[in-house]
Amino acid sequence: DPLTLHSSAKAEGRSDLIASIKLRHCCLLRNQRCVTAYLYDRLLRIRALRWEYGSVLPANVRFHMCAEEVQWFSQYKKSLASFMRSLGGGEGLDITQDMKPPKSLYIEVRCLKDHGEFEIDDGTVILLKKNSQHFLPRWKCEQLIRQGVLEHVMS
Amino acid sequence: MFITDIRKEFYDVVTNQRVALLVAADIDAVCACKILQVLFHCDQVQYTLVPVAGWQDLSTAFLEHKEQFQYFVLLNCGANVDLLEMLQPDDDSVFFICDTHRPVDVVNVYNDSQIKLLIKQDDDLGVPSYDEIFRDDEEDGDSGNESDEGSEPSGKRRRFEEGAVERRIERQRAKREWEGRRREILFDYEQYEYHGTSAAMMLFELAWVLTKDTKDMLWWAVIGLTDQWVHDKITHMKYVTDVATMQRHVSRHNHRNEDEENSLSIDCMRISFEYDLRLTLYQHWSLYESICNSCYTSCHFKLWTLNGQKKLQEFLADMGLPLKQVRQKFHSMDMAIKGNLRDVIEESSNKYGMKDIRVQTFGVHFGFKNRFLASDMVHATAALLESTEKDDSASDNFLKALDSLSRGNLDRLHLGIDLAKKKLMAIQQTVASCICTNLIVSQGPFLYCYLMEGTPDVKLFSKPMALILLCKYLLKAFVHSTRNKRCKLLPLVMAAPKDVEKGSVIVVGIPPESETSDKKNFFGRAFEKAAESTSSRTLHDHFDTSSKIDLSSSNAALQTLRPSLRQTLGGGLLFISSAASVLEALSFCFVISCLNRFFVCCWRM
Repeated sequence: DPLTLHSSAKAEGRSDLIASIKLRHCCLLRNQRCVTAYLYDRLLRIRALRWEYGSVLPANVRFHMCAEEVQWFSQYKKSLASFMRSLGGGEGLDITQDMKPPKSLYIEVRCLKDHGEFEIDDGTVILLKKNSQHFLPRWKCEQLIRQGVLEHVMS
Repeated sequence: MFITDIRKEFYDVVTNQRVALLVAADIDAVCACKILQVLFHCDQVQYTLVPVAGWQDLSTAFLEHKEQFQYFVLLNCGANVDLLEMLQPDDDSVFFICDTHRPVDVVNVYNDSQIKLLIKQDDDLGVPSYDEIFRDDEEDGDSGNESDEGSEPSGKRRRFEEGAVERRIERQRAKREWEGRRREILFDYEQYEYHGTSAAMMLFELAWVLTKDTKDMLWWAVIGLTDQWVHDKITHMKYVTDVATMQRHVSRHNHRNEDEENSLSIDCMRISFEYDLRLTLYQHWSLYESICNSCYTSCHFKLWTLNGQKKLQEFLADMGLPLKQVRQKFHSMDMAIKGNLRDVIEESSNKYGMKDIRVQTFGVHFGFKNRFLASDMVHATAALLESTEKDDSASDNFLKALDSLSRGNLDRLHLGIDLAKKKLMAIQQTVASCICTNLIVSQGPFLYCYLMEGTPDVKLFSKPMALILLCKYLLKAFVHSTRNKRCKLLPLVMAAPKDVEKGSVIVVGIPPESETSDKKNFFGRAFEKAAESTSSRTLHDHFDTSSKIDLSSSNAALQTLRPSLRQTLGGGLLFISSAASVLEALSFCFVISCLNRFFVCCWRM
């Protein structure tokens, strides 16, 4: 505690140390600010991950998060979910969909990598093979577009 | 079976279903695909588009998707082979085939349930009638039954059996006769390969019937038709007829804007009928380069000779075009010169023996800078489709070509134009070197040329469309440069290395050059027969049967082939393989098929 250090230095007659105590203290404060800024930035990015990946994070992302961050993420998820449930007169509205205003019900997507089989709402399965193009409902594709598996083709 | 009402029997059927689109890798198919995609977008038909480059790709794609899709639409593939036998589909799979390859396989024509052909029936098909090819085999059962009825007293039985035996013999004889006639009919029907109406035009008609046609679709249909002309797939008569059909659509679209003058924004698309010069890409190049690299002018002037170069200079002087103007980019040429350029060139060309320097075609104009002729787009898209950049697979190229046709992707189109220029220059240089070094060898009934591995730009010619284009230009150039009258009527077979590591070679064959050619190609059958009778490992992967890949080539094999080539009697088929007897086998199979009209006139020479 710099104040006690300060007062004890004065009491012992070592007032020449006061400047170095002050300097050290300023450095410590600065380091603390930097670390806090870094941690806060991480939190903001983790928050953005919820919007990018959805509620389940891929394993390679979770690997880089510490336990407290994972906990923070799940709490954020919960509060976002309860907010979404409360919208729309109690019925709930998924606001993580349609991040850009949609122009049409179905969109044309091109598959950038092999993703295997993909099931859409009516139960039919589509094989997502590299360089195939598909015309699918927009809401099913958004997740995959964000992940980079599909690419929206605008003609 | 042939579809009569394309709306009811095709479009209404697939509207509420999910469809798999299997598209072949040629420009006409790409254009047809774009038209169909726009229609499907309008009506929200969910589909999956898979590009297929050959039969193997088609089978793989079918196997992967057959669980999920019931309806398959095949563009420019599948009509000329027995599809059900090749793919072995389940009974509920339905195939809609819009293909320009002819002849349509008879099984596809007469199958009522699973195969629907989006082909016009008056398209000069000549399909043999049902009774000539198929018959119900009840007679076998009868003769079997009769021979079993032997429980009567011997006297009666003998008389009865004699009658039965006679009838059976009679029936068997009739059956053999019928089978003989059937083989003949099928042989006549299937011996030549040719092309019918463009798939893009067929689908544009569908759009028109649905009154959902737009200028974009019309332009794609025009590009599809022009692709058939550029790659020499249809006769000139047919091209002119189809141009007239498209011209009616163009005027109909243009009439909509005629009432209010200048009310269309400059960014809107305008399609116009042009009677324009046959100089490839001349508006995106300099006039001089275009004249040097277009097949028509290059062959007429014989630009690979010094004399030819002089003639070209004379030609330009005759028109009064200063060299400086002619060598700079077309856009920067003097407006005064550009004004009546076409008429001036036509007049001078007539003096130099080039009577058809102008050809009927269409042009598009949108924005201030963007003017393209249909043939420009065909060359650009073809160059993109077959680009030999290292990392791109065939399906990558297909998607790039597909993108380049949209008006929003002009940078891709310009990239395509640059690639097309390089390709044309490579073709001209290869043609010049082949002619000057006499690489074309006359081997009796056909001409043969092999591109060695070290030839510059030989990688470009490992793709079928580029190789066929080279082949046609080379044959034209050869016909203009040789004095041997007999050689002018011969077909040309050309081979180029396809994959240096695997040692495979791609071979194409084209029919002889003639004014009245009906563009029917007999190499498909001939290649198949040769493959059967020799030990060469060949892959008939392309939908166009006149080109094939041979998997076992070696320079030594080629050297041994040439002397044996001279021994051949009738040729037309070239397969480079390790067996020197290939060509003998080929020539043999051609002796059988020598009854066709091409060879009759060849033999007489």
